[in-house]
Amino acid sequence: MRKANVSLTVLRKRLFAVILAITFLFCLFLARFAYVQLVWERELTARAVGQWTRELPVVPERGNIYDTNGELLAGNATAYTLYARANAVENAEETAKTLASLLPLDYDTLVEKLNDHTRSEIVLLRKTAKETAAAVEGTGLKGVYYARDNLRIYPYGALASQVLGFVSSDGAGLTGIEKGYDSFLAGTKGEILYETDLVGAEIGEGAYYIPAEDGLSLTLTLDVRIQSLAEEVMARALEEHQAKAARCIVLDPNDFSILAMVNLPSYDLNDIPRGDTAQLNLLSRNAAVSDVYEPGSTFKIVTAAANIEEYLRGNAAFSPERVFSSSRTRNVEGSVIRCWSDHKNGKHANLTLQAALNNSCNPCFVDIVLALGRETFYDYLEKFNFGKATGIDFAGEAVGMLLPEATLKNSDLARIGFGQSIAVTPLQLACAAAAAVNGGYYYAPRLVESISSESGAVYAAFSKRLLGRTVSEETSRILNEMLEGVVTNGSGSKAYVEGLRVAGKTGTAQKYENGKIAAGKYVSSFVGYFPADAPRYLALVIVDEPQGSYYGSTVAAPCAGELFGGIARLENIGEGSI
Amino acid sequence: MGKAEGRRLPLLGALSKGRGAGDVWFLAGVVSLAALGVLFVYSASFYSAEVQYGDKFYFLKKQLLGFILGLAAMLLLSRLDFSRWKRPGLPALLIALVLLAAVLIPGVGQTHYGATRWIGVGPVSVQPSELTKFAFVLFAAGYFAKDPSRPRSFKGILPVLGAGIAVCALILLEPNLSVTMVTAALLFGMLFLAGTPLKTLALLLLPVLLALPVLILMEPYRLRRFTAFLDPWSSPQDEGYQLIQSLYALANGNLFGVGLFNSRQKFRFLPFAESDFILAVIAEETGFFGVLCLFALIGFVVFRGFRIAARANTYFEFLLVSGVMFAFAVQAALNALVVSGCVPPTGLPLPLISAGNTSLIVTMAGMGAVWGVSRRGRPS
Repeated sequence: MRKANVSLTVLRKRLFAVILAITFLFCLFLARFAYVQLVWERELTARAVGQWTRELPVVPERGNIYDTNGELLAGNATAYTLYARANAVENAEETAKTLASLLPLDYDTLVEKLNDHTRSEIVLLRKTAKETAAAVEGTGLKGVYYARDNLRIYPYGALASQVLGFVSSDGAGLTGIEKGYDSFLAGTKGEILYETDLVGAEIGEGAYYIPAEDGLSLTLTLDVRIQSLAEEVMARALEEHQAKAARCIVLDPNDFSILAMVNLPSYDLNDIPRGDTAQLNLLSRNAAVSDVYEPGSTFKIVTAAANIEEYLRGNAAFSPERVFSSSRTRNVEGSVIRCWSDHKNGKHANLTLQAALNNSCNPCFVDIVLALGRETFYDYLEKFNFGKATGIDFAGEAVGMLLPEATLKNSDLARIGFGQSIAVTPLQLACAAAAAVNGGYYYAPRLVESISSESGAVYAAFSKRLLGRTVSEETSRILNEMLEGVVTNGSGSKAYVEGLRVAGKTGTAQKYENGKIAAGKYVSSFVGYFPADAPRYLALVIVDEPQGSYYGSTVAAPCAGELFGGIARLENIGEGSI
Repeated sequence: MGKAEGRRLPLLGALSKGRGAGDVWFLAGVVSLAALGVLFVYSASFYSAEVQYGDKFYFLKKQLLGFILGLAAMLLLSRLDFSRWKRPGLPALLIALVLLAAVLIPGVGQTHYGATRWIGVGPVSVQPSELTKFAFVLFAAGYFAKDPSRPRSFKGILPVLGAGIAVCALILLEPNLSVTMVTAALLFGMLFLAGTPLKTLALLLLPVLLALPVLILMEPYRLRRFTAFLDPWSSPQDEGYQLIQSLYALANGNLFGVGLFNSRQKFRFLPFAESDFILAVIAEETGFFGVLCLFALIGFVVFRGFRIAARANTYFEFLLVSGVMFAFAVQAALNALVVSGCVPPTGLPLPLISAGNTSLIVTMAGMGAVWGVSRRGRPS
């Protein structure tokens, strides 16, 4: 070896150094490979899995909604959605030609969609029939898929529309029970996973199927027969009085289950006016739960109940025999309160509590609340759940408006006694009335009876839940007699039904707009129930802004009469059944 | 140069029958690696080839052609006795430099993926930077061997230094930072192996280390790639994408891999799966165990190569062989570092394995020269 001037030792050393350096370098990246492949592997693979598959949704069937008798209120028609994945389509033009002959879509639109490589999946057609989906599948075209979809249907159309609510186009509950119980109704989505390449073209034949879990069904306390009846009656009233709105709540005083809840005007759940948002918001509002109004004389039930209870306890109150002053006015701390009646020609003279209720005389109830005093009366308002939510299983409940006790003026206290200077929801009033006449039990009102699977397994059942006592059984009994008298002899006579023991109380309230009395605008109402000795059906009827006649006695009471007559026929109560 | 041989015309003589088998283990290692390359190029590319070219054997055919041409080049060079061929390095270097410069002439150079690295001649495109490494080794070895005292003086190493810098500058202009880095490493490797005093080397290395950050900052894409490499998930769609996909492939491979042909990442998730990132596909299909075996084989080839250098008859042959092996080892290591996310992603093939005919043929030719030396070297 000729290596003049080059030391062999130096070259050997240098070569050895290079080998060492390269060995070091090799060890370095091999350690890194070991780390990535054996240690970091789990986390990285978890991230990678997501990009290897494309999913098609498997839509669960949304739970049904039934009435208390198992009548279907909301269900599903099975529909199919057709998808395309442009990157998996083999020949866009050919595919479009075939599809155009099967689907209500034109060739150009299809070609455009099938060539849209910007998105992974493109919806070709929503909510199509099973036959169409099967026909498309039969062609064996690549890159076209279908998935089951739900089309929500409401067999009764507009019935109880504000209570039931509706769903979005992709099946999510947007209002009402559909929204409130969406987590139960919705179910869990499943998936069909396809192994794909980077751009979504399928590789291999395999598809993994993760089944969807269907939603749970609801059984409501609503009774379609009573709901239909109430809607008919209220629709007639709306029409007849050219009113702005008509509402009605029917509940069972024994457990506060809501049998009917009507808000008119309404809309068809199968043809939702989605175009006009403001209108839809208005129509879909469950005003019976979410809106407040000044109740007027129907509130006297509460005042009367408080008086009787206090009298029985031997506290400061009026005895049923006690005769009230016949004067039309009361002067409370300089504020003059007048009766709606002129008290002329012997009207409203020498009234007892029964007669005060019959004639709905305001000054008598002023005397009562002032006798009871602020503290005692507010205790009763508390027991009757005013100023707070009733706790109904429906989202968006209003709590009403109750003047704060601490700063309350006696003139305001006096007005609350006959249902003014207080705002309540229709539901609050109906529940308070029920809690006064059912023996004094305030239950939580409810719309949902049970949640169960379609196979019948009960997931949850809701029974009556006592929130508190209001008055004693004896007070309730006395009150029932008096309120039956209001219907037989007093202002509630138009609610009378032959053969039924109907009881109740009318109400007529002037509406306020911007803090002032709105001329000619009234809320006519009636809260009544039957049979008077053992209440089974309690109804609150409200006609908002009736034109012409506006008294609760002439506008609302007849509705209640019709309603009770109808219910009696349905349930074979009264004359016919005996 | 004084080995007694019959006087023949050098070229014809070289092509006449051989002088012994030489290091057969080395030869077997090299051929095995290239054959493995053909297999994995097919595995990594069949899907994208089908999608892109409608022929799943597209890359396989090209790689097979390269493999056959590479074998021919290997045989040819193993029979050329460079010691007898007067100063082959200079013309080789000059040709390489001309080709490198030609790449930069608009119309001649072909641009792919934002870099101009290829020269097209009809259907064939050549990547001159691959040729250059071998040409440079040939030149440096020839130059130093002419007067072995040259590496000892600064004046003596100047021509090699100048040639190296010129090559680096031209490759950098393409731009191709990673091949520039390999060439720069090769320059220092040659100087080191030739026996240049360490003091001189240190003085030379200093400005290079200072220049590196400047080079990175010069092109904005390099900085982005650099930061993306530190946290690829900060830009998963852009700079970080390639690295993320490579790491996914590695992770999916685990210890024993998902099996030959079963890579999931090659379904167009991993860019350059058949070329620069073929190691990621190998790692996915054969696992860490496969990577270990592959680099055991590469390490074996490198070790046998350096062994051939140590036993070379002449200073020239020593430099030629160790230079070729050094370039091979450094490039393999750099590719592995890129694929495993230790250095920012750059366009650098795994020698002998990655798809790309210029690289394959030139590398095999270089290996042929090394094997040729073993055939003339001392008997073991």
